[in-house]
Amino acid sequence: MRREGSPFTGLSAVAMKEAADHMTSARMHLVMLLVILTAIGSIYAAIGQIKSTVGQDAFLFLHLFTTARQPLPSFVAFLGFLLPLIGIALGFDAVNGEYSRRTMSRILSQPIYRDALLAGKFLGGLLVIGICLVTLWLLVTGLGILTLGLPPTSEEILRGIAFLAASLAYAGVWLAVSMLFSTLFRSPSTSALAALTLWLLFTIFWGMLAPLVAGAIAPVDPFNPITVVHQAEWQQALARISPNTLYGEATTALLDPSTRSLGLIFLNQLQGALMGAPLPFEASALLIWPQLAGLIAAMVVVYTIAYVAFQRQEIRA
Amino acid sequence: MIRVPSLPSAILFAGGLVLCASPVLAQDQTNSTKPTGLWLTTDFPAVTERIGEKPTLPLTLTNAGEPPQRVTISLDGLPKGWSGEVTGDGKPIGAAMVDTDAKQRLELKLTEPKGAKPGTYDFTINAHPAGGAALTLPVSITLAAAAPDKVKIEPKLPALRGTPRSSFDYSLSISNDSPNEATYNLLAQTPPGFVATFKEEYGSQELTSMPIKAGETKTVKLSVKPPKDVKAGLYPVTVAASNGDVHGQARLAMDITGQPNVTLSGPGGRLSGSAEAGKEQTFNFTVGNTGTAPAAAVTLSANTPSGWKASFEPKTLDGLSPDDEKQVVLHLTPSDKAIAGDYMVSLDANGQGTSDSEQFRVTVTTSTLWGAGGLAIIAAAVVVLGFSVNRYGRR
Repeated sequence: MRREGSPFTGLSAVAMKEAADHMTSARMHLVMLLVILTAIGSIYAAIGQIKSTVGQDAFLFLHLFTTARQPLPSFVAFLGFLLPLIGIALGFDAVNGEYSRRTMSRILSQPIYRDALLAGKFLGGLLVIGICLVTLWLLVTGLGILTLGLPPTSEEILRGIAFLAASLAYAGVWLAVSMLFSTLFRSPSTSALAALTLWLLFTIFWGMLAPLVAGAIAPVDPFNPITVVHQAEWQQALARISPNTLYGEATTALLDPSTRSLGLIFLNQLQGALMGAPLPFEASALLIWPQLAGLIAAMVVVYTIAYVAFQRQEIRA
Repeated sequence: MIRVPSLPSAILFAGGLVLCASPVLAQDQTNSTKPTGLWLTTDFPAVTERIGEKPTLPLTLTNAGEPPQRVTISLDGLPKGWSGEVTGDGKPIGAAMVDTDAKQRLELKLTEPKGAKPGTYDFTINAHPAGGAALTLPVSITLAAAAPDKVKIEPKLPALRGTPRSSFDYSLSISNDSPNEATYNLLAQTPPGFVATFKEEYGSQELTSMPIKAGETKTVKLSVKPPKDVKAGLYPVTVAASNGDVHGQARLAMDITGQPNVTLSGPGGRLSGSAEAGKEQTFNFTVGNTGTAPAAAVTLSANTPSGWKASFEPKTLDGLSPDDEKQVVLHLTPSDKAIAGDYMVSLDANGQGTSDSEQFRVTVTTSTLWGAGGLAIIAAAVVVLGFSVNRYGRR
């Protein structure tokens, strides 16, 4: 039986309500507090490091994000680690939480389709993440202006905005993943654990697994140098399955303009190259576009799987 | 005149210039009897001097066999305006004493008046021994007109040949043929834009003038630097030494041969451009000749990173006249494996004996085809979503 009307009627109402719920939830406050505290810590360390460095740099503001000082990692490294946590926190009980609170049938008795409910929950979460990221970014830039006494250049602002977009896509992937688990598992704790497992796997263990698997797929023959290249290519391809790797590469190229390539480089490609010369923003954007496209596509695909699973579920239980 | 008390007659060489009795002659005549008496003698009693040179006469007071005597010496009949002074041991004296059988050397210094005319001037030197007859020595001085001052300048090599970049070094001998020391200003007249400097023969000090003693010859070095853009040709240089009164000059020649100077400049004067990896890009370069002679064959070449292709069109320029410019096109294809960013390509324009090399900075952009690929992946994901919405939607 075909039903009439747009499947997305009421989408904005659900999204705004969901966003408002997240904004006031204690869970969100705790996670954001964690993120902001670590951010301030790493930025403060970075400013100390930058101030003690004598030298000219055209991209001082970008160094705010990437400079690390022992024992703190850089702001970008923190984000790569903690952004999935925000996504998981916002999405792990998106669907099964409604079941456990027995509110699902009540919502769906309203004149909206399930399409709008899931899409609204996803967009609401994405909106909250976006707001948090923009706030964080402004906070960092403001701290930078205050302590460095310099305004950022237009190039730095462009790169910062692209960095925001990449961060949003990265967090979106983890939001979609956690929503998928919340659709698949009836218990919120199970879905949360599943999402956290995947997060730990990708952020911590994937970097160790990828060389092992690559070594098994393409073993190195000591008498054939090309096998080394093959193994390195395999290793990189496997590492790029992890959204964490993609995000790391994207931020590296965006925040360090002298990054010219993210893959394997042969020496003859470097002949005559001027090392250290910054790339224009367009070239950097072109360089990370595959990574960004991969993140966006992964987000859409994971959401689609969650959507299909949700649409086919029995919800009157 | 000599007083010869012991001789019956004095032997006078009246026509001669030396007015003295030769003791040798006297000895001959008196059969080994030495003449005794007092003599006042001078070597040359009639001399010719140039005007301006103070005449000096050496006098000798001789006492042979006489007791020591005081002899007063005075000048008589000096022409008007003249002054004279007799000195002994460098001090002015009025009288002298001579021991027996001794000689006293004296000197008469004469000063002529300013503007003294050439001619012969006569006067007498008197010597009065105490209690004896006066001795007189007539002297005749002829003043001759001074020789005119003269300075001569003579180049060792009057014509040199070189390129506009070379320095032309002339060696000049300046001789002062005047009777006096003089300071000469050194002057060089060159075509406009040429720089001429005088230097010591072995030294780096620049000179404007130089003192030269009478009759001396000194060597100075004149180096002339032509302007860089001077046309080929023969250029005259006049060099002179002058001190206001006299002037000596010589003509030098500079034969400047032309030299080509090839320059290479990038599109619009810039030395950077951008090209897409794996795609041919053309850049317009300008080859110019800022030299003064035509460049025969200018070969253009490019030194690129490996895997790049670069060729000039045309590869060779036949003959580029001075101040001429020609356009050449550089076809540059970065390697398709080139990574995004800046590369350096070195370009050479090589004429015969002249060349120019430029570093051309190429910003390699990568193909946006992959960008479209990324969009396609996202579009595929969205299509899958749309399909599933269509299939499972609106429940």
